[in-house]
Amino acid sequence: MQLVTAQVHANDEVMPATHLLTLEAPEIARAAVPGQFVHVRSGPYWDPLLRRPISLAGVDGERIRLLVRRVGRGTELIAASRPGDDLDCLGPQGRGFTLDEADRRLMLVGGGYGVAPLAWLAERALERGHEVALLVGASTAAHVYPARLLPPNVEYHVATVDGSLGQPGLVTELMPPLLDWADAVYACGPHAMLAAVARLAAERRLTRRSLPVQVALEQRMGCAMGVCLGCVVRTKAGYQRVCRDGPVFPASFVLWEEPYDHEFIG
Amino acid sequence: MTTNSSAERPAADVRGGASPGLAVELAPGRKQGLRLRNPVMVASGTFGYGTEYQKVVDVQRLGAICSKGITVEPREGNPTPRIAETPAGMLNAIGLQNVGVRRVVEEYAPLWARWDVPVIVNVSGEAVEDFERLADALDGVPGVAGLEVNISCPNLRAGGKLFADDAGSAALVTAAVRRRTELPLMVKLSPNVGNVDEIARAVEAAGADSISLVNTFVGMKIDVAARRPFLANVTGGLSGPAIRPIAVRLVWQVYRAVRCPIVGIGGITCAEDALEFILAGARAVQVGTATFVNPRAALDVLDGLVAYLEREGIADVNDLVGAAQPSGALTPR
Repeated sequence: MQLVTAQVHANDEVMPATHLLTLEAPEIARAAVPGQFVHVRSGPYWDPLLRRPISLAGVDGERIRLLVRRVGRGTELIAASRPGDDLDCLGPQGRGFTLDEADRRLMLVGGGYGVAPLAWLAERALERGHEVALLVGASTAAHVYPARLLPPNVEYHVATVDGSLGQPGLVTELMPPLLDWADAVYACGPHAMLAAVARLAAERRLTRRSLPVQVALEQRMGCAMGVCLGCVVRTKAGYQRVCRDGPVFPASFVLWEEPYDHEFIG
Repeated sequence: MTTNSSAERPAADVRGGASPGLAVELAPGRKQGLRLRNPVMVASGTFGYGTEYQKVVDVQRLGAICSKGITVEPREGNPTPRIAETPAGMLNAIGLQNVGVRRVVEEYAPLWARWDVPVIVNVSGEAVEDFERLADALDGVPGVAGLEVNISCPNLRAGGKLFADDAGSAALVTAAVRRRTELPLMVKLSPNVGNVDEIARAVEAAGADSISLVNTFVGMKIDVAARRPFLANVTGGLSGPAIRPIAVRLVWQVYRAVRCPIVGIGGITCAEDALEFILAGARAVQVGTATFVNPRAALDVLDGLVAYLEREGIADVNDLVGAAQPSGALTPR
C-alpha cells in the first residue's frame, strides 16, 4: 500500500451518477487484487475533510480503474476530475477476494455498482480456468452494470427490481438454480443483499457440502489504515476493521443479525 | 583548521548553515526527563500503536508518538456508526476500543524499545484505581517513554461525570498516577470546561510534568432523514481544523496559568497551524485528525517548521514558545 499522486487518464459516466475513472498509478496497479479499494482525497483543502474509499474495478497495465458513485460532496469532487488532473491516492487497501484452485465453479453475485470488483474478479478467475456465473442486480435497467465492462466470455444473468431488464425481482432470486452447481460464492452489494446471499448459501450447507461465501463490505471510513477504528463490523471475533481486516470477509464470520450502518460519507 | 562538528558551530549563526535547534524537554523537573528531538508528535487515537503507518511514512522522524488510549482490560468499543464527517472536521465515538495494557506491555513495548522515536502511552480509566494499575503496569517498562493521562473519562464513582470536568478530580487522578511512577506524566485536558486555567493549575500542582490540550469537543450530528442522532453513541468528540481557533485560545489561556510545558493539539494540518500553537505558548504540538487525511501531515509540519526557522533566522524553536504573548503578562518560567 502506498501514497501516490495519480494522474487521471479518463473519466466515463458509465451509469447514472457513477463514474469509471482510469488513473495512472503503477505502484497500485502492480499490487492490487479484486475486492481491494483505494482511499482517495477529494482535493487539497480540508473540507470535505476525509478521504473516500473507492472500489477498484480493474487494472490495465500501469493504470487502475475506480468506480465512483456520486453520493455527496467528496465523491462529487472526485467524480468531477478530468483527464490530466491529479488525485491523491492511498492504496491498494484491505484484503481482497481469494481464489481457491479447488473451487472450479464460481457464482459471483453483485448488486448495483457492487458489480465492479466482481467483474474484475471474473476476469481473473476466467484466466485461471475457473467457470464463472455472474449474477447482476439493480433497481432498474439504467443502473445495471454495463455489459461492455464485463469480460467477453462471462456467463451473465440479470435481475431488475422493476423488471425493466432481465428477470423481475432481486438478484438473490437468481441464485437457487445455481446453488448446487457452485463450489464457491463471491458477493458485493448492499448489506441486506449480502445477508441474503449468506443465508441462501448456509441453507444449502444444511443439505450438501459447505458452500464458502466471500463478501466485500462497505463502511463509512476515517483513516483506512486501521488506526481510527471508525469502520468496524461485528463478527464472531468481535468488532473487526472493514478497512484492514476486510473489506472481504467470509460470510460465515459476519454477524448478519447485528445492526450495521454502512451509509457512505459522500 | 576546519571543523565538521555541528556542536562547535555557533548556535546563533543559523543563516550560516547550522540547523535550527528543535529539541524540546517536556519533563524538565524529572530525573529521566522527556526530551524530544523535535516538537512534532502524533496524537493518541490517530496513530494506533505506531506500527500501522510505518509502511507509508518514516515514523522514526517524529518527535514522539502518543499511543492509542489503553485501559486495564481490552475494550470492544461502541456500536456503529462511530464516526461522522462535519464541516472541516469529524465526530468520533469509538469507545476506547483497545487491546488492554497487558498486550501493550508484551507485544508493543518491546518493539518501541528498539525505536528511535519515543512512545508515550495514553492511559484511560473509569476509577482512580484503574489509572494506578496502568501506572504500575507501565512503570519501568522499556519502550515506554512516558504516560499521557486521559482524564476525559467517565468516573463511575461520580455517576459518569468526567475526571476532566473539575479541578479536584483531575488533580486526584494526576496525584494517584504520580505516586505510582517516575515516568514523565503529560495530563491531557478537556476543552469542555469553563475553568481550564484552574484545572491546569490543579494538575500541575498534583505532579503533571506537562499538560496537553485540547482533547476533542463534545458534539452531535442529527440524521435529519431518520430523525435521530447520527452516532450510535449519540454524542462524539469533534476534531479537525474546525476546532483549531478554540484550541489555540485555550493554549494561550493555559500558558498564562502554569509554568510546566504545554503541548498544543487541535486541528493542526501544517507548519503554520503548529506555529500558532507554539507562539500561543505550546512547547510541542500533536498532529491528530490531519494524519487520517494526509499520512505525512506530521512530517510536513516538521519540515515546514524547520524551513520557517531557517527562513526567519531563528536559532531554536524554544525561542518562539509563547512569543505572541504580551511581554510582562507572563508567569515567570
